[in-house]
Parts: sequence; structure tokens; C-alpha cells
Amino acid sequence: MCSISWVQILSYVTFVICVVGIASKVIKIYGLPIHLRWELYPIPHEKDFRYGGSYLEEVDWWKKPRKKNFLNFVKFLFIEILFVRVLYHNNRKMWYLSFPLHFGLYLVIVWLGLLFLAAVLLALGLSTEHVLILFLQGIATVLGVVGFILAAVGCVGLIIRRATAKQLQGYSAPIDYFNLVFILTVVASGFFVWLGDSRFLTIREYLTSLITFSYAGPLGSAITLHIILFSLFAIYLPFTHMSHAFMKFFLWDKVLFEDEPNLKGGSVESRVTTVLNYKQTWSAPHMHAGGTWSETASKGVDNEEK
Amino acid sequence: MKKNNINVEDISDPSIQMAVIEPENLMPLPYPYDTPDAQPPLKKLTDDQKERYESDLDGFLALKLPKPETKEEEDRLVGQFLEGLKKLLSRENNWTFLMPLMMSLEYCAKCQTCNDACPVYIASGKEEIYRPTYRAEVLRRIVNKYLKRGGRTFAKFTGNEIDLNWKTVARLAELSYRCTLCRRCAQTCPIGVDNGLINHELRKIFSQEMGIAAEELHEKGSVLQLKTGSSTGMNKPAFMDIIEFLEEEIEEKTGKKIKIPIDKKGADILLIHNAGEFLSWPENPSAFAIIFEEAGINWTLSSEIAGYDAVNYGVWYDDAQLARVAVQHAKIAKNLGVKKIVVGECGHAHKALIVVADRVLNGDLNIPRESCLPILEDIVVNEKIKLDPQKNNFPVTLHDPCNIVRLMGIVEPQRKILRKIAPLFREMSPHGVQNYCCGGGGGFAIMPSLNIPDWRSAVSGRMKFKQILDAFQDEIDPNIRKMICAPCSNCKGAIRDLLDYYDAWEKTGIAYTGLVDLIVNAMVDIDGPFIEWPDEM
Ligand code: SF4
Ligand code: SF4
Repeated sequence: MCSISWVQILSYVTFVICVVGIASKVIKIYGLPIHLRWELYPIPHEKDFRYGGSYLEEVDWWKKPRKKNFLNFVKFLFIEILFVRVLYHNNRKMWYLSFPLHFGLYLVIVWLGLLFLAAVLLALGLSTEHVLILFLQGIATVLGVVGFILAAVGCVGLIIRRATAKQLQGYSAPIDYFNLVFILTVVASGFFVWLGDSRFLTIREYLTSLITFSYAGPLGSAITLHIILFSLFAIYLPFTHMSHAFMKFFLWDKVLFEDEPNLKGGSVESRVTTVLNYKQTWSAPHMHAGGTWSETASKGVDNEEK
Repeated sequence: MKKNNINVEDISDPSIQMAVIEPENLMPLPYPYDTPDAQPPLKKLTDDQKERYESDLDGFLALKLPKPETKEEEDRLVGQFLEGLKKLLSRENNWTFLMPLMMSLEYCAKCQTCNDACPVYIASGKEEIYRPTYRAEVLRRIVNKYLKRGGRTFAKFTGNEIDLNWKTVARLAELSYRCTLCRRCAQTCPIGVDNGLINHELRKIFSQEMGIAAEELHEKGSVLQLKTGSSTGMNKPAFMDIIEFLEEEIEEKTGKKIKIPIDKKGADILLIHNAGEFLSWPENPSAFAIIFEEAGINWTLSSEIAGYDAVNYGVWYDDAQLARVAVQHAKIAKNLGVKKIVVGECGHAHKALIVVADRVLNGDLNIPRESCLPILEDIVVNEKIKLDPQKNNFPVTLHDPCNIVRLMGIVEPQRKILRKIAPLFREMSPHGVQNYCCGGGGGFAIMPSLNIPDWRSAVSGRMKFKQILDAFQDEIDPNIRKMICAPCSNCKGAIRDLLDYYDAWEKTGIAYTGLVDLIVNAMVDIDGPFIEWPDEM
């Protein structure tokens, strides 16, 4: 068995940390207790998303079948995550910079995915000249280069905007600049790899070595630098607020669009029973600390503090 | 001393006045309020009030926080605040909003997009401390610096520079009462962060841990309601007297003899009004009675404690009070054996009882609850009563109460009704779920103390006033009578005060009313007009 290089070890470690980091964030969200409803309209899965209507517009709504337009929700997510439509409508100046950054990074992810797919196919025995490999390689190259450029433009633009726009200055910390510069170095180093390897063959070969657990061979300095920066960023990302890029799904799905009613015998009811039995220890006199929420709620008319 | 270019850290600086609100710096209004002398003055605090209370946020007082006498007392209060903050971030103490709060604290990208959606910030002339992000950022920094490991060490690098002292706490408390909780900001956030929610949670630390809340919301609000029956102080005998008065009024005005059902067991509907209606706008519950009787609905009112007052101020500041009032409402419905509770024209009561308390009312307290608007739509649109729209032949615009529209998605029923009964109906811009708050949200409508009413009419309600003027700009002549329809008691109160503050009836001929009032006004079998214009009262 061939030994593997420290760069490869870094890549494996990155993969594990990144996956565990994202998973732990998601698990944490799912582990949180049910909360009181705090929805905000328009909600895409409601029948009248067009104008922001809800099932509460109907007489005896609880007697009617609950219709959720899942397709509309997916459409909303797709447009919102890919094109940041809310920003487009509400802050065009920011969108001109934020959109290229985010879209560029999504293209970089697709670039990596396509190269990875090509590497898997090669590991499975396809020849390097197979039409599918050539196709994947071609698309990946275009998307990768465009992605690197777009993300770099977005980064530079956002750095300048943060530093110059009055209303952003007071809310921008060294870490915000650090994050943007960090992304910039990652995408710039990727671009430099392309300058020396116009079809990203070295990256594909490197990915093949990772899949097959074989020695990657000596890597050039540009690709080594890119792999290191990319890895460090992938390790860092899940633990920063930059994870909003994917965590915003939960802000919508679990809070702003969460309008599931508490129907008798339904799934909400049992979860509510659990939380009503939590004990609260708030100190203001009217809270009567120490009781469960259920007891707190019933300390109304008869037991109001004197 | 007022400092220019206020930044987030300045909230801890005891040597400065953070904001000074002057009429000339506020957002301009359309004709006839487009000149400097058309701006009413803002009431200033007296020297004595400034001496006694913490007032160096912006010179307005919602909380009347007394100044601590010693450093020890200050430190004790800061400690209490921090303790409350820990509870706010704990599962058992704050399951109610933990997930929304944690995510809103964690994922803000600080892009400042939400600011332009905020009527308070914009109407104030972009006063820094009123940004939706300002108080949220202060709280975020306190959490990151004081409650997270390594927070102090890396505070500068991570942008969490803040000094937690008594000034910070006192100003944060007062600042939590400069947001109407309209949540327009959250609608425009590309990430879904909700600064209105962060403000709501801030108020909870003060109320639930430190016992600090606006007295109109707590002592004279939810506590009084649970003790006497209503936050207005109205007890059962007084309520019964008013019902008698309403019956007489109905007969006098419409010739209809109606017996308003009270505590009727087994009725289909328990209708709960904001008790403010009985006192300030008795024609509103009367109109409900006329419509429901005419449509043959089997309904009742309740005379039990809180049964005749739908308000639930807890929804603005305190989860325990929210739950207590909601449980009381549900218990009354259960004891009466009604099929459902219907909430009258009161927006926050809608949201509190139908939506927010949905996950408090379990088991046999889970009585179906709905808005009055769909039923009214059914009655009007399906012509269960006879209506003549020509009786409402004057320009009408519709105010969308945030709680009913943006926060519940009840948008069309009220419009379908108006299209049917008001031939000169026109929309405000923007409207529906993008509407602007009346300025009375978050409790401001019922906070008459010191100079808050002036702040409400000049700042938080300014955008609404602009919208109203814009909607009627083509007929702004005071001789043309115009009507704002506001299907919410608190919005009505805030709009009433807005119109008074700007002397709008005299200068523009604009008045306000509820939705049912306009419906009854259009009923064919009622001789005279039901609504009264200000010059007829
Ligand atoms: S709350 Fe949203 S819109 Fe406002 S600054 Fe944060 S990320 Fe931007
Ligand atoms: S909830 Fe409304 S008033 Fe409060 S910060 Fe947001 S937009 Fe402004």
C-alpha cells in the first residue's frame, strides 16, 4: 500500500470536520424544543402566496384539509438561495456584490462536484479520453473559472463597500474583512491553478488519489497552496456566521414559514405537552419561579400575585 | 450632550445623549403638512423628570426607569440583566422562542438591508439608534462577549466591543420600547433574521427577570385584566351596564330591538372584543351584534373575567402573561361549551389567541379559534344581509393591521368586503402584507404616559400618516369627507391620536372607523347613517 501525503491527510480531515461541523449545526437545530408560532407572511407553501394569504382566511379552517404547496416552497428556496431575490428587491447596491460572491461560490462547489464525479468515473475504470470525462471536465473548467472570477469580484467589491459605505462601517469588524480576504485568497489561488493547468487536470488527479487512497505524487506549489487554503476555509466555514448561506433554510423553514397548527391528536400537540412540563426559573415576582410552564400559565385569575 | 455619528459602543457611554428628536429632522410629509410650521411640536421632559428617570436615550420615556442611587445598585441590576440573558438562551426557560432567537442572533450578515423597511428608522430621519439592527447588535455583542468562551479576549477582532454597564442596560430597556414589533424588517432580510423578534425577547428579559415593563402593559394591563376582568378596569357589573346601553343605542339608532346574548351556554360562537371598544367605540360591538343577529348566527359574549376583553398584552413583553390570558380565554369558551372563539376587531388579540398561544392551549383548552374577518366576508359576499354600497359613497382606504395581515396572512376577506360595500375604496401604498404599522404596535397605542404619545404620532405613526395622506391626495380638500377603515382596536386608537395630533379632520377631512361599522352603515333596512363623522358627534 502506498503512503499518502500530508496534504491528502489534510483533505480527509477537512472533509470530516466540515461534514461534522455542518451536521452538528443541523442536529442542534433539530434538537431544539418546539417554539411558539412566529410566522411571517407571505409564506410560499400557503395557497395564496401571491398576495400573502393563509389558511386562516377561511371560516372553520381546522375542518378543512391542510393544503401545502411544496412546489412553491422549493421554487422559493431555489430562487432565493441561488439568486438572493430578497436582496435584489430590497438592497440592489449590495446585491450587485453579494450575488456574484454567492453565485461564484456555488459555481465553485459545482466545479468541485463535477471534477469529483469525473474522478470517481476514472477510478471505476473509464479512460481519460472517454467522452463523459471530457464533457465533465469541460463544463467543470468553464464553471470553475467563472466561479472563481465572480466570487473574487464579489469579495473585492464587498471589502470596498464595507470600508466605505457609512451605514456598514459601524457594523463591520476585523473578522468581516478577514472572512472576505480569506475567501478571496481561496478563489484567487484556484484561479492561479487554472492559469497553470487550463483543464484542472491536476485537481482531478488529486481527487482521484483521494478516492483511491493512493499517493497523489508531487504536487505543484500553486495547487498545494490552493488545497491548503480551500481546506482551511472548509474547516472554518461551518463555525462562523458565514454558514448563513445554508443555515438560512432553517430560518425560513423552522421559523418564518412554520405555521403548523396545533390540532387535536396531531404531532404538534405531543411536543407541546413536553415543553409545557419544562420548569422555569425566571426571577420577577409575577413569574412564580420553580413551576412548570403549564403551572405558570394557569396561575392566572385565582393566583395572581397580590 | 448629543453626539454625532453614534456607534454601537456608544450605548455604554454615560456622558452623552444618544439622540435628540426634532420635528425638522423627521421624514417630510405630503401636503398639507409639507412645511416646517405644519409640524406639531414634540413634548419635552421636564427637568424634574430628567433628574429622576433614565432619559438620555432620546428624551422620551416609556418605562420611567428610576436612576439607581448607588454603584452597588447599578451592579446588581446589571447582574440581574445578565442572569436574565442566560435564561433567555436556555431551553427550559425560553423554549417559547429559543430557536428563532438563537438563529437571529447567530446569522445576521450585517448588510443593513432591513433598515430601510423600518418605519420608525425612516420616519425619524434615519436616527442611528432606531435602526432595527442597532439594539439587535448590542444584544448580540453582549451575548458574544459576556456569555461565550473567549468572548472578551477576541471581542475587538470579532466585532463584539461593548461595555456592559448600567447605562447599557437602562438604554437597552428603553430602546426595546422604540420598536412596534411590526416585523417589516424581517420581511426584507435576505437571511430571514428577525430583529423585531430580538426586540421582543429583550423586553422579556426585563419583564420576566427584572420585573421591568411599561406599566400600561403590565400592572395596568395584563395584571389588571386578570384581576378585574379587563385592562380598562371594567368589572362585570360595569360591563353588564354597557351592554344594556348598547341595546338601547341600537334601538335608538336603527330601530332594531336586539338582546345581546351574554354567557349563553352551547352557543356556536364566543365573540370576544377588545374591551376598549365598549368604552371608546361602542358602535363597533353594536355593529357586530346587528350583523350577527341579522345573519342568524348563534353567538354569545362572556361576562367572565377577561371574557369580555380580548386584549393580551403579554404577546408584546412577557410569555407568562401571554399564556395566562390565553388560558383564561380558552377556559371560558370551554365552560360555555361553544364550538369556537371568534376574535373581534383587535389585531394583537387575533395574533395572541389564534396564532402565538396555539402552542400553549393543549388538550381540552384547544378550542378552535378564528378571526371575525372570514365570517364577515361570508356574510357580506354571500349576501346574508342586504346591503346598499351607495350608502358608503365616500372615499375609503384600508389600514392593514400588522398582526392580522403580515403576521397571520388574513389579507383578502376585509378587501372583498370593502369592494362590495365601499364604491370609492382605494388601497394605500404599499398595502397587504407589505403595509406599514399604524405606529401603535408593540403596545404604543395604549401607552399614554409622559411624552410617548407625541413620539408615537410624530415618529412611529408618521409613515402611516404619510400613507393615509397619499391615499387621499387627489381629494385632500377638507370639504370632501374621507374615511380610513381600521379593523383593529389598537390601530384605531393610534390613528385617532394621529388625526388629532395633526388636526387632520379640520385640515383634510379624514376620519376613521372600523369595518363592521361600515358594513352596518350600508345595510338597507337601517334608515339613518350608522357611522358618525367628527362634525356630527
Ligand atoms: S438582519 Fe438581515 S437584513 Fe438586517 S443586517 Fe442582518 S442580515 Fe442584513
Ligand atoms: S419590527 Fe418594525 S419597528 Fe421594529 S425594528 Fe422591525 S421594522 Fe422597525
